[in-house]
Parts: sequence; structure tokens; C-alpha cells
Amino acid sequence: MDGVHDLGGLHGFGRVPVEAEEPFHEPWERRVWAMLGPVLRHTSIDRFRWTIEQMPPAEYLRSAYFERWLFAIERLALELGMVRSDDAPDGGFTSIVPGDPGRRRFALGDRVRTANPVTAGHTRLPRYARRQDGTVVRQLPPWPRATLAAATGRYDDGWEHVYSVEFAAGDLFGDGDHAVSVDVWESDLEPADA
Amino acid sequence: MPEPQLTPAERAEILEHHLHDHGHVDPERMARATAEDESGDGPSTALGARVIARAWTDPEFREQLLTDARAALREYIGDQIVPLVVLEDTPDTHHVIVCTLCSCYPSALLGNAPEWYKSFEYRSRVVREPRQVLAEFGTTIPDDVAIRVVDSTAELRYLVLPLRPAGTDGWSAEQLAGLVTRNAMIGTGKVLAP
Repeated sequence: MDGVHDLGGLHGFGRVPVEAEEPFHEPWERRVWAMLGPVLRHTSIDRFRWTIEQMPPAEYLRSAYFERWLFAIERLALELGMVRSDDAPDGGFTSIVPGDPGRRRFALGDRVRTANPVTAGHTRLPRYARRQDGTVVRQLPPWPRATLAAATGRYDDGWEHVYSVEFAAGDLFGDGDHAVSVDVWESDLEPADA
Repeated sequence: MPEPQLTPAERAEILEHHLHDHGHVDPERMARATAEDESGDGPSTALGARVIARAWTDPEFREQLLTDARAALREYIGDQIVPLVVLEDTPDTHHVIVCTLCSCYPSALLGNAPEWYKSFEYRSRVVREPRQVLAEFGTTIPDDVAIRVVDSTAELRYLVLPLRPAGTDGWSAEQLAGLVTRNAMIGTGKVLAP
């Protein structure tokens, strides 16, 4: 989904709070952190991320990090029936069933073009890296496509090869001498000259 | 009369109470997970630093860490579901890690991400203007060193193997580990000469 969580490349956020070291500030934040584990026995981490993304944008930007987690864990615990029943569906890291991703389509050094796979569902291809030409710099182990794992809460289908695709910052942002890579599922890539 | 707003701490307590009532959280595990003491052998900057120092002093381990990090790290963090990839800095290439979409971080090795890593400022800006962002951390990357920003957008985590600093010939792995900072393993810092 096109949401405010997709922050890469946005202007206007100001200096990084480099002195802000502590992961936790208040005791309840540790408790929220510790409640994610039980939820991920019944759904996927993609579903958790997608639920956070569904926070109203102004609320997302106003909330502290673990308030966003709390929002999603509350919703998922309700959705999965965990607040009214001892039972909950199988899911998440307890339902990993390795699948066959087929033959790898791209080699290191291949020039590829990214898709524009956005729907109201979950995608892990950031806005700044959609419909861009880049180079395959790493072949990564297969993993279920995040869009599907977010929809189902499971990791038993949609296994695909994954690649790191690197872009020139000048192509992405019009400026900069650096390179930026993102990790992309194979079905979001086509040969660049196709 | 509007409903009084619950604080995040109150909401977290209510949620935990319901999850506990239905057996979804184990109180002992909650207590362990929320204990503030993070010393010991668990994930931490110190554990990451030991891995980096060993890679600097043990060529076989270095090779395995760069080609099959999961196997190399098994003795440190056990078998991980989510793979880790180690990126090797060279005299002409500097890597820096981010997760623009959420907060993916090599926590299996380093522990919880610092607040700045999860900040909107870091997530939005480091892909667009890494040299400026690194300067805010006090880290200057010379113009002739290429910067590769790595956005963790799939189910895979990254760690930087920074350059071993000059002036450390003959140092033991234990001495070297004392120089390695958390930020150097993320790429917002460098390991400084003693």
C-alpha cells in the first residue's frame, strides 16, 4: 500500500536524533515488545507490518515506535481471537513450509526493471524504487512473497527467489553519487530492456 | 462526555491480561523478556564485536561469514529462521544499512535497534543523502569512497564488516573487539584507530 510508512527519500524530516540510543523508554514498551512473539505464533510478520501500515497517517507520524506496535498487536490479537479464546490459527514462523521457487531467472550483474506492484495490500517495494532500472548485486535465499504472507498470515505458499537490486542515487533522486539497493521478490522484476 | 483516553501503558496491561487469561503468554517468559538486564551472552553490541574481531583475525571464519553467515554465526546465535548477510567494507566502498519501510535490524546478533535507527529522520534521509546523515554521526566518508546504502526490504538482515583500523597489527581478537562499535556494524560509524 501507498502509506506514510514508506518514508525512503522523503524531504523535511530534519536532523537524525543520533544521541537517541535507548531502544526502550518506559516499562510498558518492553511488555509490548514481548507480546509480539506470541502473536507471531499465529500470523506472519508481514501481516504485523501491514497492520501497522493501516494506522491513519497522522496517527502513525504522531505515535512513538512502540505505540505503533501496540496498535497492531491489539488489532491482531482481536482478529486472531487470542483475547477471547485459548485457540488461534496456525501461522507465522510456526507454519513455514518450504516451497519450490523454480529456476532462478536472474544472474548477478543482470540489468533489471522493477515493477509497480502497489495495491491496498502489503508490498515491500518502496515507492522510490518502483519502475526503476538497476543491477542485480546479490542473489538471496527464497522466501514467500510478502504480499501473500501478509494476506494469509502464513509462509506455506508463494516462495520466490529474492535479489538485491542496486540503483544509482542519481536515477532515484536526481542527485547523489552513492548507490542504493533494495531486496526484491523475483516476480517484481523484468529484464531492463524488455 | 467523551470516553477518557487510555494511555498506552493501560492498553498494554489490558491486552496482556486478556492474552494471559487465554494462555497465550507465559508469565515466566514475559518476565525474562522484559527484564532490563541485557548482560550475558545474548544478542548485544559486544557479541557483534566479537564476531567482527574474529573475522579480522581468522581468514577462514571471515570467508564463511561473507559467503554463509548463517553457518558462521550458528555457534554465536544458534539457527536463525531469518538469514543474515554480511557486507564487507573495503578501502573504496562503505556500506550503511537502513530499513525505510519499518525497522528491520540484525537484532539476532546486536540486540534491539537504537531509537535513532527507527526514527523517521534516519529512515527518510539516509537513502537520499547518506554523506550528510553520516556527518551527523560524526562520520566523514571521503569523496573517493563509494557509499552503498542497503535498504532491508525483504526477510533478511544485514550486518557490516567494517575495515580493521590501522595501527592494530598483532592485536588479539579480544583487544580488537573492544574497538568495534554498534554504529560501525550498521555503517553509521567507522572503527577508529586506537
